[in-house]
Amino acid sequence: MRKSTQSAEALLSPYFEAKGWHAFDFQRDTWQAHAEGRSGLLHAPTGQGKTLAVFLGPLADRLHRESLDPKCPAACEVLWLTPLRALAQDTLRALREPIEHLAPHLAVEARTGDTSSAQRAKLRKKLPWCLVTTPESLSLLLTHADFRDQIVGLKTVIVDEWHELLGTKRGVQTELCLARLRAWHPDLRVWGLSATLGNLDEAREALLGLAFPGSSTISADLNKELVIETLIPAEIERFPWAGHLGTRLVEPVAKAIESADTTLLFTNTRSQTELWFQELLEARPAWKDDLAMHHGSLDREERELVEQRLRDGTLRCVVCTSSLDLGVDFSPVDQVIQVGSPKGVARLAQRAGRSGHQPGKTSRVLCVPTHAFELIEFSAAREALARGEIESRTPVSKPLDVLVQHLVTCIIGASIKPSDLRQEIQTSHAYRDLDDEEWEWALAFITTGGQALKSYPQYHKARLENDHLKLDDKKLIQQHRLSIGTITGDRSISVQFLGGKRLGTIEESFITRLKPGSQFIFGGRHLELVRFHKQTASVRKATRSLRGHVPIWNGGKMPLSNELSHAISRSLHDTGPPSAERLALQPILSIQQSRSGLPSDDTLLIEFTRTREGEHLFFYPLAGRLVHEGLGSLVAWRLGKYPGESIHITQNDYGFCLTARRGLSLDPRRLSEAFDSNNLLDDLLSCMNTAELARRQFREIARVAGLIVPDFPGSKAPKRDLQTSTSLLFEVFQRYDSGNLLLLQSQREILSKQFEINRLGEVLTSISKRAMRLIETDRLTPLAFPLWADRLSATLPAGDANSRLEAMLTLLNRETDPSSQVNH
Amino acid sequence: MLQISTDPPLTLIGAPAALTSSRALIVADVHLGKSATFRAKGLPVPEGDNEHDLGRLLECIARTGASRLVVAGDLIHAPAGKTTATLSAIESFLEACRIPVTLVLGNHDRNSGALPRDWNLEIVPALDLDGWHIVHDPADAPENRPSIAGHWHPAIRIPDGKRTSLRLPCFWLRGKNLVLPSFGSFTGGQVVTPLEGHRVFTVLRDQVVELPQALWRP
Repeated sequence: MRKSTQSAEALLSPYFEAKGWHAFDFQRDTWQAHAEGRSGLLHAPTGQGKTLAVFLGPLADRLHRESLDPKCPAACEVLWLTPLRALAQDTLRALREPIEHLAPHLAVEARTGDTSSAQRAKLRKKLPWCLVTTPESLSLLLTHADFRDQIVGLKTVIVDEWHELLGTKRGVQTELCLARLRAWHPDLRVWGLSATLGNLDEAREALLGLAFPGSSTISADLNKELVIETLIPAEIERFPWAGHLGTRLVEPVAKAIESADTTLLFTNTRSQTELWFQELLEARPAWKDDLAMHHGSLDREERELVEQRLRDGTLRCVVCTSSLDLGVDFSPVDQVIQVGSPKGVARLAQRAGRSGHQPGKTSRVLCVPTHAFELIEFSAAREALARGEIESRTPVSKPLDVLVQHLVTCIIGASIKPSDLRQEIQTSHAYRDLDDEEWEWALAFITTGGQALKSYPQYHKARLENDHLKLDDKKLIQQHRLSIGTITGDRSISVQFLGGKRLGTIEESFITRLKPGSQFIFGGRHLELVRFHKQTASVRKATRSLRGHVPIWNGGKMPLSNELSHAISRSLHDTGPPSAERLALQPILSIQQSRSGLPSDDTLLIEFTRTREGEHLFFYPLAGRLVHEGLGSLVAWRLGKYPGESIHITQNDYGFCLTARRGLSLDPRRLSEAFDSNNLLDDLLSCMNTAELARRQFREIARVAGLIVPDFPGSKAPKRDLQTSTSLLFEVFQRYDSGNLLLLQSQREILSKQFEINRLGEVLTSISKRAMRLIETDRLTPLAFPLWADRLSATLPAGDANSRLEAMLTLLNRETDPSSQVNH
Repeated sequence: MLQISTDPPLTLIGAPAALTSSRALIVADVHLGKSATFRAKGLPVPEGDNEHDLGRLLECIARTGASRLVVAGDLIHAPAGKTTATLSAIESFLEACRIPVTLVLGNHDRNSGALPRDWNLEIVPALDLDGWHIVHDPADAPENRPSIAGHWHPAIRIPDGKRTSLRLPCFWLRGKNLVLPSFGSFTGGQVVTPLEGHRVFTVLRDQVVELPQALWRP
């Protein structure tokens, strides 16, 4: 059923004429493809009119049908999936605008976790022509038996910011929901929107599954101009070699903010955000009312207020984290500042794209280093971008926790034959090679518990009846609906004033380190912890003015990407005309070269230095901090066990350092053995505290798989009989069902999440082929210094709880018992 | 085994349990049938906890040559977990252990309803034994008399490193009242904050060790 685009364009022209716009080629191409019944992926930098490209196709289609049949029945025809519920309101605004011009009789509504229960009830009765929702809300809708009838007219699903979902379990959840919708509507068109990625084809395959031959990837290649500038410190010799706060450049940054109308200042962590906010306020007290902060832990109302003021252009500067990376269009922003390492090429480009959001405008980003070596990262990112070397996002492959959750979701909605369900699920990219064992396990998990002969007694959830899977226990259905959703993190603690005003949330691990009376900074306020009780930290304004702890949240450990690492290596050895950053860094690079050498992709630089603390080996594989953490543990373990000597490991994005009191050396044979790429997995499992890490990872898996009963909203008392902790469950599974595939999954996930196991393997293979450059230095080099300075920071202590406790007791005895010191 | 200098004397063992002067073995919070409760509510948790925990209890009785067993409350987790399998496991245990068994009722026992009358099991609200008053809830312990309780599942948090800590089930001696750690393998712990002068013990490789105050009140 080929329809001419001429008609699509003609149908849409009133809107474009009213706006005085011309349609871009990529918009026409997308309308054409949609009219031909095709699916695809559209990629474009932000601010390129891609919303109109994917949304107006379905609208033109509707207008076309209405022109043929004015009584064309009203129905829900379009689903718009957004990764962030915070984006739903902006999306509504963006979609309603053309609708008001072209088809005011069509409704666009949102249903997300933020939607009021009244609105939800309304939507339960009748869905609008276009429904904006999240993957979790869509899953939830699938559990309602009448949902299938409500979307009987569904024609198109649009997935916004697909690159954000790709590579996460929520992306897999999206894939599964789409597989369900495709099974219901074989002609369904699915369109994804994505920022630029290194693996766009794979991204498209993951979105569309196996059922879409002839799908297309359309690029909005408009040559959007992107300028990356760096604030170069005046005296590089006095600029720190290490650290990550970098507030030394506050004054020039304040000046840059003065020179623009509206600035977004991005930092890498929430604690850095708090710190820069404080420092800027100290530097320019007059900005008290025009300076704001935005990060994921602040209360929603507060964040929305900041977003609104950004849109209105009434703020001078917002200090923020990745919470403002996504989608939202803040046209007044005319300057973006990035503080600290960009970490990745795509990330820097994405942030830069927040300025000059309109098509045709130049995007600019001003980069602010927090220590000297970040200068080279900025120039490397610029160069990688010019070469089109952008990071990929690897889709998650068949996570079983998401699968069992989805199975229950499906059978609540309708009873299904297992073989049909399996066939449907295997049309998704994530589960395309799901094997019999995994499938049987997943089925058993929701019906009998254990596999085959080991079924769990008295367990009941879903059941097989007349060869159909069913679940009709009302309580279990309710329980499942509450537990839908796959994002979990550290438990969030609500921060509120004694009077009750909510300020936002903070991770439990942070708040438990504070004692009542301790001060900290949160949301730009100096606070004092009064008490912490039942998920709520009550605070009051700090009375004494004191520089408090800045809250340290998790999530600041993003490693340098592979692409950026390679670009750095290239920049360090580039013989062409040097960039401004490289010139500025030259004095420090010269010191590095005179004491040792520059690390590179084709040799492995290893330095050996003695200090008062003992002996240090510094390795510079340039592979990002997670890989270095894994490599450090592995190499330390393989270099051997010196009786009574422990090896301490520190790492950053450039390399890692081993420190011991004695026993380290530059022995080429032993070092090359330590980098052997064989037995990587076994050795890593033996040397790391993987059991402890897997236990932590199990928290997320247990929740997704429905092992944890969610608290019912509004009910204060948790279900006491079913109260447990995921770490206890982990032990119970290990003890009584050690072959459970969820345990294996948590080990697999922790290896890839904590150490980027695949990248680690690749790095190890490449290192074993590289030449080693061994250099003994009598002083720390500029590259060694940050690793040395970091030596006191704690990583997870090795050993199980017993040995850790023994070590502490022994130490305590030695300190308090004088005789043991004499006998030493 | 660790004899603590209380009056009357008491020995702590790694089971975890306490042993009085007449060799009465005291445990608390066994929570039998907990995994069965989860399964009954549609949560796929493997079984094995009943068998494992009752086995440990038998072994402990044999090893200590205990003259009687006192469960200081919460023998059974919940009504839904009081399945035929759970009940028959307890029945076999009562036959196999060959010593008198007393259950000091806990809140979970009360919620779980009556137990078969023909069981060889004495059930009491509280018990006085070898100079110790044994109750389930520490809140019901008398202030001026030595007592042993359970209920809280106490655990202690010990920082080791800048951002890491150990969380260990513990015996908590708070004045004259000793709170036992929970015995069941599918029971969690609740972190407690002992005060100056209290004593804290934990199990390290099957042995009870005292944790010096320096570790938990840094």
